[in-house]
Amino acid sequence: MNHLAIDMAGVGKTYRFFSLENIELKLPRGEIMGLIGPNGAGKSTSIRILLGLVHQDHGDVCVLGHPMPAEQVAAKWDIGFASEDMRLYESQTLGWHMQWMQSIYRNWDGGYAQRLLKRFGLRAEQKLKGISHGQRVKSTLLLVLARKPKLLVLDEPTTGLDPVARHEILRELTDVMREEGRSVLFSSHNTQDVEQISDRITFIDRGRIIDSMDKEMFLDRWRRLRLEAPFGVTLPALPGVIGVRQEGRLAIATTNAFNPGLPHAYEQTGARVQRIENMTLEEIFVANVERSREEVEV
Amino acid sequence: MNRSLIGELVLKDWRLYRPMILSCMVAGAGALALSQWGNEPTLVVGAVAFFIAIIMAATMLPLAGILTERKNKHLAFLMSLPITFLEYTTAKLISTLLIFLVPWFTLVTLAISVIGFRNFVPHGVIPMTLILCGLPFVGMCIMIAAALVGESEGWAIAANVFCQSSYGLTWYFLNRIPVLHNNASKPKPVWDPLTLNILGGELVLILVILALTYFLQSRKRDFVF
Repeated sequence: MNHLAIDMAGVGKTYRFFSLENIELKLPRGEIMGLIGPNGAGKSTSIRILLGLVHQDHGDVCVLGHPMPAEQVAAKWDIGFASEDMRLYESQTLGWHMQWMQSIYRNWDGGYAQRLLKRFGLRAEQKLKGISHGQRVKSTLLLVLARKPKLLVLDEPTTGLDPVARHEILRELTDVMREEGRSVLFSSHNTQDVEQISDRITFIDRGRIIDSMDKEMFLDRWRRLRLEAPFGVTLPALPGVIGVRQEGRLAIATTNAFNPGLPHAYEQTGARVQRIENMTLEEIFVANVERSREEVEV
Repeated sequence: MNRSLIGELVLKDWRLYRPMILSCMVAGAGALALSQWGNEPTLVVGAVAFFIAIIMAATMLPLAGILTERKNKHLAFLMSLPITFLEYTTAKLISTLLIFLVPWFTLVTLAISVIGFRNFVPHGVIPMTLILCGLPFVGMCIMIAAALVGESEGWAIAANVFCQSSYGLTWYFLNRIPVLHNNASKPKPVWDPLTLNILGGELVLILVILALTYFLQSRKRDFVF
């Protein structure tokens, strides 16, 4: 059995005003990957290619061991997909949708669906017309989770939710992840949500994967050094430092390969290290995007 | 082909659009009843209302079942199910046609029965009734094609406007064909070659439009929703 839930290799897709370039995405089974990118970065297009809804121009896509799009039906039996812009039939009740899903999916877990109903504070007999956005997202997630999919693909599921609803949904997702063998691809432009539940993080911008690694490794490797330079000296970007911003004598060096020797190396240049700061995932993401865009422009 | 899931999608549409179809059938039956009231004005009003009921069914089904489904973002939900784009197309073609056939067949049978049994109008009008009832059927297929292939509200609305304005014109021109006009006032239905050709032409047109829709959909590589 393929140990990867998602395996995208050299995938490209060109539209008139946008293109995905050489996407490499590997998600081991049982792991949670956060796909972070600004609006229009290519997250949804990548996900649609994963689901077989958009055919890649080149490259190979394999989901749960099924080549895509050729075996999309076989793969989709085990994929639970929910996206922010997904809507259910408003003229019908949630119960109607649950019954319909039950008639389609052999794995439908009625007991679990009932538990989720209570946990999310939903009512099966309520028509979906007029319910809040939060309830709509929860309803969609209920329908997806009760199918017991091996792979969950969530495209910006928390967008537009209030903090309480977001917390409830993320908590439920975290619980779901405890089930053995469940893999999740979670796309968002909200780094906080992704940081909360993901094992691995992938950054995407302007149709390119700009970085991908273990979350802890990201947080461990990225640091900001606040430095005080000697009078009249411009501090260099030492190996491992992706950028130095200096105003007068004060400088900030950002590194994506921090090692304990780096502060010492700066001290060798005559600088004084004022502080070494950890970076949030959002800061890492922004720094990564800026670096990537600069590289492309160069 | 994933037959069981196509069946599920067809059943889903049947459950969703059953009330709409039922209301068109009730309206059509009511219109037929009105046409039997006994005087010419009610006959004309009833006949027009009867055709409007059929046109309503032919218009509402593609708009609600395909266009609104896309506009209201149900497609993302449907395409998360284990089906391909082409299986979705197949399900939509089958469900829209089958669901439309229920009121169409019922109302047409009812109309011909009323004409046949009540002797209120000459039986020669039966072929013309069939031809006229076939027009909304062709129109519905054009709207299905526009909504599925065009993937936008604009194309579907354009097709709708085209069909709505074509019905009146086509009726006008059909009525001006002397053979058809004369046959309509005869005591018995006349199935002359022209009538049969027009009916056959409608059937061929329906089949060609549906086949073309399926062919164009099968050429697409990306599903837009």
